[in-house]
Amino acid sequence: MKLDSAAKAVPLLDVRGVSAGYGGMPVLQDIALKIYPAEVVALVGSNGAGKTTLLRALSRVLPCHGSLFLNSRDLLPMTSDGAFRAGLVQVPEGRQLFDRMSVRDNLLMGAFVRADKSAVRRDLDRMYSLFPRLAERRRQLAGSLSGGEQQMCAMARGLMAAPTLLMIDEMSLGLAPVVVELLIDALVAIRTEGVTVLLVEQDVNLALSVANRGYVMETGRIVRSGSDKQLIDDPEVRRAYLGL
Amino acid sequence: MDLLAQVLINGMLLGGLYAVMALGLALVWGVLNIVNLAHGAFIMLGGYVSWYLYTYAGIDPFLGLPLTAVVMFAVGYGVQRGLLNLIVRAPMFNTLLVTFGIDVVITYLAQLAFSADFRTINPSSAGNSIAFGAVVLPVSRLFAFGIAIVLTVGMWLFLLRTRLGRAIRATAQNLVAARLYGVDPRHLYAMTFGIGVALAGAAGGLYGTVSQINPYIGAALTAKCFAISIIGGLDNPLGVIVGGLFLGVLESLTALYIGSTFSDVASFGVLVLVLIVRPNGLLGKAA
Repeated sequence: MKLDSAAKAVPLLDVRGVSAGYGGMPVLQDIALKIYPAEVVALVGSNGAGKTTLLRALSRVLPCHGSLFLNSRDLLPMTSDGAFRAGLVQVPEGRQLFDRMSVRDNLLMGAFVRADKSAVRRDLDRMYSLFPRLAERRRQLAGSLSGGEQQMCAMARGLMAAPTLLMIDEMSLGLAPVVVELLIDALVAIRTEGVTVLLVEQDVNLALSVANRGYVMETGRIVRSGSDKQLIDDPEVRRAYLGL
Repeated sequence: MDLLAQVLINGMLLGGLYAVMALGLALVWGVLNIVNLAHGAFIMLGGYVSWYLYTYAGIDPFLGLPLTAVVMFAVGYGVQRGLLNLIVRAPMFNTLLVTFGIDVVITYLAQLAFSADFRTINPSSAGNSIAFGAVVLPVSRLFAFGIAIVLTVGMWLFLLRTRLGRAIRATAQNLVAARLYGVDPRHLYAMTFGIGVALAGAAGGLYGTVSQINPYIGAALTAKCFAISIIGGLDNPLGVIVGGLFLGVLESLTALYIGSTFSDVASFGVLVLVLIVRPNGLLGKAA
C-alpha cells in the first residue's frame, strides 16, 4: 500500500503558493508542499520558523492566500469546522486533553461528530490494541496519566476522528527521551495502519527517523525538502539542526 | 423519639426537593460558569406552568412534569442562544448582572400575568398519607422526593454515559479541544442552559404540590439553591443530593429545636462554614 514513488499518485494534501500572516505582517511566504496517501511527512524547523502558523493556515483558523486542496477538495473557502469534517484533524501542541475525563471518554470525544456507532466502537478497540498502555488505563482520568501516556491519548483521540490527514503538533515537546522512544513506536504502528500523518517537530532527528519524507522550514519559507535519507545526509541540515 | 423521627423524615423529603431545585443551577454554574440568579424565577415559572396545566387542562401535576420540563427547556434554550451566549465568556460580574436583570423581568411579568395571589397545586391525592407507627409519610411529598431522586440520578447518568453529556463535560473542561473535535459551543451552551431551566421547571412543578407559589418566591429559592450547590460541590450531581438532604434535615431540626425563624440562619451559617473548611464542597476534593 505504501507509495514510495510519489510522482505516480494524486497527492492527498496539495499546498501551493500559500502565504499568510498576522495583521499585515507576513509570516508564511510561498509555501508549497504535497502529502501522498499513507505517508508520514515531517515538517521540521526551529522555534519561530512558522510551523504552527502553517498548521493554523491548513486547518483554516488563519486566513491565507494560495491554493489548498485536500483529496481534490478546495479547503480555502472552508471554516475550521468544515476542514475538520473534511478529515483534517489536529493533535494540538500541549495535548489539550480533557483532564477530568477518563481515557475512554477522551477517545470517544475524538469521535464526537461521527454518527457510525459500530465503526466508532471498532475504532475504540483498535486504539486499545494500538496503544496497550491506554487499554490498561482506560478508566483512569486523563489528567492523572504520565506525559507520554497523555501524548498517546491525544494521538488516539485524533485517530478516533477517522482523519484523512492527521497533523501532530510538537509531539515530543517536554518529554523524556525514553518516553519519546515509546511514541515513535506508536507512530510506526500508526503508519502501518495506513494513516497519513503530518508530523510537526522541533526535534529533527526524531522526525526524520519515522517520516518517509520531510520539509525544512526557516523564517516562513520551505528551504529544503526530500526523503528522510536525503535530509539527514544534507550537510546544511546536519550543521544547522543536528549539530554535526 | 417519634417526633425526632418525623422531623428527620420531613427534612429528608424536603431535602430531595431541594436537591432537584439546585440541580439545574449547579449544572449551569459548573459547565457555563454562570451563577444564574434567575434560577429561582425559572422554578417559579415552572410552578405556574404546572398550575395552569392542572387547573385548566386537568393534567395531574406529576404526570404533567415532562410537559412542564419541555416548555421550560425551550425557554432556557432561547434565553441562552439569544442573550447569554453574547456574554458567556465575559467576567462573572457581567453574567451576574444580566441574570439578575432576567430575574427582575420574569418576576414582574409573572406578577402582571398571574397576579400576586398565592397558588397551590392540589391534586386529589394531596391529603393522602401512609403511616408507619407514629411516623406519617404524606403521599405527595413522598412522590416529589422520589421524582427528585430519579431526576438527579438520571442527570448524573446522562452526563456520564451519553454523547451529549460527554460533550457538555468536555466543553466545560477544555473549550479549545472541544471545538477542535467539532463541538459547536453556542448550541452546546444553549442545550446545557435549556436542561438547567427544564430541571428548574420540573422542580417548580414539584414545589407547587408541597408548598405555595407566587411571583416573588424566586429570589429566596435562588439563594437556597446557591447554598446547596456550594455545600454539595459542583463536580458531581450526586453532591447536590447530599447538599439538599443536608440542608433539608438541618432546617427541619432547627425549626424543631430552636425555632422556624432560625432555619435560614442555620442554612447560611453552614454555607459559610463549608466555604471556610471545605471550599470544594462536602464531596469535593479537599483543597
